[in-house]
Amino acid sequence: MAQPLVVQDLCKAFGAFRAVDGVNLEIGAGRVHSLIGPNGAGKTTTFNCISGFLRPSGGQVLLGGRDVTGWPPHRLVAGGLARTFQITKVFGELPVAENLALAARSRAGLNLNMWRRARSAAVADRESEEILDLVGLADQAALRADQLGHGDKRVLEVAIALVLRPTVLLLDEPTAGMSTAETARITTLVRSLVNRTSVLLVEHDIEMVLAISDEITVMTRGRVIAHGTPDAIVRDAGVQEAYLGATEASFW
Amino acid sequence: MAKIVTPADCAQVIRVLATALLLMLPYFVAPFTLTLLTEALILAIWAMSLDVLVGFTGLVAFGHAAPFGLASYAAGYFAREVSPDFFATLVVAEIVVVAVAAATGFVATRASGVAFAIISLAIAQVLFQIAVAWRPVTEGMDGLANVPLPRAFGTSFGEGRAFYVLTVAAFVGAYAALRRLVDSPFGHTLHAIRTNEGRAAAIGINPRLHKWLAFVISWAIAGLAGTLLVFMKAGTTPMALHWTESGNVLAMTIFGGIGTLFGPAIGAITFDVLRDEFTSRFQAWQFVFGLVFILVVLAFPSGIAGIVNVAWKSLWRSRS
Repeated sequence: MAQPLVVQDLCKAFGAFRAVDGVNLEIGAGRVHSLIGPNGAGKTTTFNCISGFLRPSGGQVLLGGRDVTGWPPHRLVAGGLARTFQITKVFGELPVAENLALAARSRAGLNLNMWRRARSAAVADRESEEILDLVGLADQAALRADQLGHGDKRVLEVAIALVLRPTVLLLDEPTAGMSTAETARITTLVRSLVNRTSVLLVEHDIEMVLAISDEITVMTRGRVIAHGTPDAIVRDAGVQEAYLGATEASFW
Repeated sequence: MAKIVTPADCAQVIRVLATALLLMLPYFVAPFTLTLLTEALILAIWAMSLDVLVGFTGLVAFGHAAPFGLASYAAGYFAREVSPDFFATLVVAEIVVVAVAAATGFVATRASGVAFAIISLAIAQVLFQIAVAWRPVTEGMDGLANVPLPRAFGTSFGEGRAFYVLTVAAFVGAYAALRRLVDSPFGHTLHAIRTNEGRAAAIGINPRLHKWLAFVISWAIAGLAGTLLVFMKAGTTPMALHWTESGNVLAMTIFGGIGTLFGPAIGAITFDVLRDEFTSRFQAWQFVFGLVFILVVLAFPSGIAGIVNVAWKSLWRSRS
């Protein structure tokens, strides 16, 4: 069977600057795969190329074996790829439950329905409830999304993506700006997703990455410099030099 | 505990009462006032149609005279040359408007913000120039004249009451249909696109398709208004397509309060009544409207609807 997500020789140039320069990734089914690297390494650009927000200059993206390079985001979602954003983007004026219902209706192809009442057309309500339970937002379902705390908003981002029933979930720094306790909550959540979806994660919190990843790919300056299990990455001399040299080698 | 009257119930009662009031007005007011009211309701349909784009989709159109004027020409020409049957005329006008909306909207909705505003203005200007230059059909600056009274159900809709009732029906129908639309899954999807297009795309929504459809729907409703207008005035001129008209309808919509439907309707009615009140007294009646407009929008950025909403909410809060 084809791997859920394969990225081959992905390139993205902005003028003469090659933000992503020949990146290869392979995400196995039910795996948590992390993409790390210093700021400006090209992680988010890679994400945007995979999820259709940027058109790659070269290379291929295969989703379940199908070439989806250059597809627009909404088609990729239909193909089984969902993402979250580094900067929280929830629909603040809508209740938490309606945030999920929008995603559920989109998956069910009800977006274009102009006649039914949105409330009565909340398909897969049960499933949305199940996901709210899973992520621990069930009690806040009726709140407006912009009344949630920062950590809860980040969790809601993940919940919205989960409603889409993705085979591959891209998480862009899910713990950005979170407290230690909230980070632990996200860590547990991501780990619990492996029976639902494969996860590709961009993250700066190294501790979290080491704790939850099956595999890690390290990027600097648009290129992959190392790939392997967390143990192997920790021991990799090249990674320590290129990535951690800037901070502190004793960090590990 | 006794049955509780909810705000939604009350709003429903107000809607029914307002419709009944509109239908009873012809028996109380002078014929001249009735003509003014007819015109005001036509403008209200037009302003609500613009609200679909500005308020609900987040596309500020500065060329909304285009569907209004285009429909007035298509309807006027058909009614005079072929048949004054109201429904046949309406269907023909809608076919023309929807076809042009589908083609121009496909291009226009690829843009957003100022670029969209300029493209929509350009579309209206092109139509204006066609109306001026295509003399054999449009009769140039003179415009179409002698458009007959509409016929429907086997009788002529003479001036006055009958046509007024037809306009009320169109207005109530347009409001109900648009209300339904914005509360539908499609309407919520537009909300998602307006608040965050990237997020909307990331949950599988095709922003372009939805904006395009919203554009076509908005034009179709404006086409209804344009059709009514040409029958009311028994003609139309290129001025119906002029950019000042696009500015007027945008002013009515913002003045009334975007994103509320009833706001733009009230905005349009207020605009039309003020215009009538002041044109006879001041040469520059726009000055007066401009002043009222600025004061209202400064105090209530969400327009007249904002004032009404604040009052409505405080009314219910004080009771609970």
